[in-house]
Amino acid sequence: MQNQVGFSNQKKNSSSLADVPGEETVENKKKKLLQIRRLSKAYPGVQALDGVDLDIHRGEIHALLGQNGAGKSTLIKLLSGVERPDSGTLHIDSKSISIKTPEDAHKHGIFTIHQELSLVPDLSVAENIFITDLPTGRFGVVNWTRLSEQATEAMEWLGFLVDVHSPIRKLSVAQKQGVELAKALHHKAKLVLLDEPTAALPPQDVERLFKVIRTLQARGLSFIYISHRMEEVQQLCSIATVLRDGQKVGTYSIAETKPNELIRSMIGRSLKSSHVGETALGKRKPRLGLGGTEKVVMSVRGLDDGRSVSNINFDLNQGEILGITGLIGHGQSEFAACMFGARDCVCESISVNGKTVRIRTPGDAIRAGVGLLPEERKTQGLVLHMSIESNITMASHNEFSKLSIIDRKKEQHHVNAMSTSLSIRAGSVKQPVGTLSGGNQQKVVLAKWLVSKCGILIFSEPTRGVDVGAKEEIYELIKSFVNSGGSVILISSEMPEALMCDRVFVMSNGKFVGELNYDEIDPHADAILNLCCQK
Amino acid sequence: MKTNWENFGSGLKRNMKMLFTSYLLIVLILTVILGCLASPYFLTLRNVENVLTFAAVVSVIAVGQFFVVVTGGIDLSVGSIAALTTVVAAVMMKAGHSAFASSLTALVAAGAVGGASGFLVIKAGITPFIATLAMMSIARGLSYLVQVGSLIGITNKGFIWFFSGSVGPLPNPVSLFVLITLVAAFFMRSTTFGRRLYAIGGNTEAARLSGLPVKQSIFSVYVLSGLLSGFGGLILAAQLTQGSSLLAQGYELDTIAAVVVGGAALTGGTGNPVGAVVGGLIIAILGNIMNLMTIPSEPQLVVKGILIIIAVVFIGKKRDRILRKKQNNNNIPAELTPAA
Repeated sequence: MQNQVGFSNQKKNSSSLADVPGEETVENKKKKLLQIRRLSKAYPGVQALDGVDLDIHRGEIHALLGQNGAGKSTLIKLLSGVERPDSGTLHIDSKSISIKTPEDAHKHGIFTIHQELSLVPDLSVAENIFITDLPTGRFGVVNWTRLSEQATEAMEWLGFLVDVHSPIRKLSVAQKQGVELAKALHHKAKLVLLDEPTAALPPQDVERLFKVIRTLQARGLSFIYISHRMEEVQQLCSIATVLRDGQKVGTYSIAETKPNELIRSMIGRSLKSSHVGETALGKRKPRLGLGGTEKVVMSVRGLDDGRSVSNINFDLNQGEILGITGLIGHGQSEFAACMFGARDCVCESISVNGKTVRIRTPGDAIRAGVGLLPEERKTQGLVLHMSIESNITMASHNEFSKLSIIDRKKEQHHVNAMSTSLSIRAGSVKQPVGTLSGGNQQKVVLAKWLVSKCGILIFSEPTRGVDVGAKEEIYELIKSFVNSGGSVILISSEMPEALMCDRVFVMSNGKFVGELNYDEIDPHADAILNLCCQK
Repeated sequence: MKTNWENFGSGLKRNMKMLFTSYLLIVLILTVILGCLASPYFLTLRNVENVLTFAAVVSVIAVGQFFVVVTGGIDLSVGSIAALTTVVAAVMMKAGHSAFASSLTALVAAGAVGGASGFLVIKAGITPFIATLAMMSIARGLSYLVQVGSLIGITNKGFIWFFSGSVGPLPNPVSLFVLITLVAAFFMRSTTFGRRLYAIGGNTEAARLSGLPVKQSIFSVYVLSGLLSGFGGLILAAQLTQGSSLLAQGYELDTIAAVVVGGAALTGGTGNPVGAVVGGLIIAILGNIMNLMTIPSEPQLVVKGILIIIAVVFIGKKRDRILRKKQNNNNIPAELTPAA
């Protein structure tokens, strides 16, 4: 707590130096851009934001940290005009403002780059940048030459070489973010809110994005940066504010605060000896599995889908955690879909427990004892407004029915047992799965496969978009699954997760380009990264 | 502590269920009271029988429509299929076939048209709206072709009795639609088939990735909708003692209205067949009240449309509020059980 920079002035329009204790004067030398005081917002049943104070200075990259549900997204929504606050005040350059619509936010120079980008996919780059004020000539006719000149200039200034005539939908995520930034700059942005901008970016694009952000910072632009990745925050941000349960825990200087202190204040408890904690400290991740036995439970030869995946061969041992890693978009998701029969592919042979099987549909895979925890939990794994119970038994109807009539007692018995053993936190198993938190939802998906007695589980990016505490729980669940004799294929583009596996295949351009045993992987995953970058 | 919350949770769920079904019930009772106030004839046995036997056809078809809607689809061909069955049954009986054989043939034809819609949806990947729009036109056209000329009278006493007579004071159409509704409710509640439909309507991709036979299920709801439309058509034919290609006009919209007023969302995954039938009854009773008040049919249409809007907005709000309450409830135990 000693590193906390507690801004205690809550009066409106207070001059910056007057009522601030000595320690913070360094911060206040820079000019204050945005001052948020006692900002609150309640949704039915949830106090999403509870009297939060926040100061953003000019040229500052301010990290906003917190678990899922801590109030980060709500704060972003209030600042970008998507939602209106219940109470609280906002000042920009010491002038009181109110933000009721996204237009208001833009007027005051606040721009948001959302996770789902808000560009018009079928309009060109140039049109998107200048969407509200296309340069016009006489009679209001658009001056296309000037438009493309200006757009090209704007994009080049940011270091993006794109054809400004090409429609947005043809661009990569990184390029789209570039367009968003160009748009914000064109509209004289003072503050840009970045909501997990790197979630879908490959590493090289992350570097470039950071470079752009730093350039803009040097020009006096301020940023609020939200990310679940601690190492990015350390790399990029100078100051961080932590939210928990809608309240501000504190504001910390990144340079003077240890990452585990930040994490501790995020989750409100110490993470000693936990997986997430140790990664944040830069230590070697503990191994999740036990290394597995000699017995091969699954053997795949010559898997090929003709497009994204080719010539895949591997054996999975019983009790093993086999990692599949690589840069995002190198065929990992397609590989998972092929293995589970959810994507058309050809395969020389697949055998499970020594028996040759054909996996053409997800049903075939489940009968063979293979389950998939898809990366998009909400859209692929769960029926959100169906009950926890119905979701858990969804893949094993035959188990719970006679002549297709469901035996409710038996179903309830199994579901309750499963819910207890995975400690699914819910009021009742009858409540809709959509009301659960991300981590608990993941547990429901896992429960579905445990009930249908799958011995081999494919986890595809199991901790994507999940907060630190829930990550830990998911790792524990994977661990206990292999301890009880299951085998796991863990597909992940997060290097720390790859480090936890017994064995890792590195995937590049749809092929397995290398195999590394646990002992061959160094703590910094250089061996993996080298394989990723090989052409 | 845990069991406490479980009790509370299931209690809430029960309450919610009560609230929701009883909400429809309240509206139904209110309409009945309105009817009593509007006309002294409303609560006579004759009128009640009249309303129920008239509502039977739409109710039976609405159950079929519900099966399609719960998967996130829509069936515009139901009215045309009903008309086709009246014509097929009438033609068969006129040619001297038995009531049983004629009904069966008509139902097979109805199921086949439904099956064609299903095939177009799952194999050709045509959206349900367009696929059934096409089948609506085709089925109506086929009924003209089968009919050849003007309407065909039905004289088969057995047929008329079975679909339109009565046992004691209870009219057969009413028994039939109640029976069909209850069987459908049982299917949706207690069988794997019902679960599959809710899962598919709720999230098709998740259902597919859970190994559920999505395509077969979708195909079967269109066949089912066709069969029930055909069954409704047979009741209609017996009631009017005729087969005609001009019958059952606009039933697709009446049944969709019934399903929606009954609490199902057109996006799929919610509602139940009883709700759909009650929704249909509410609309039918309102029509009857307006008839008794000698309101001409044109303003009736306007009133009906407005009532559908009111009902759906009201139900939608109610549903949201209940969901939010649940989330509210969910937060309490989450705070009480600290992360282990």
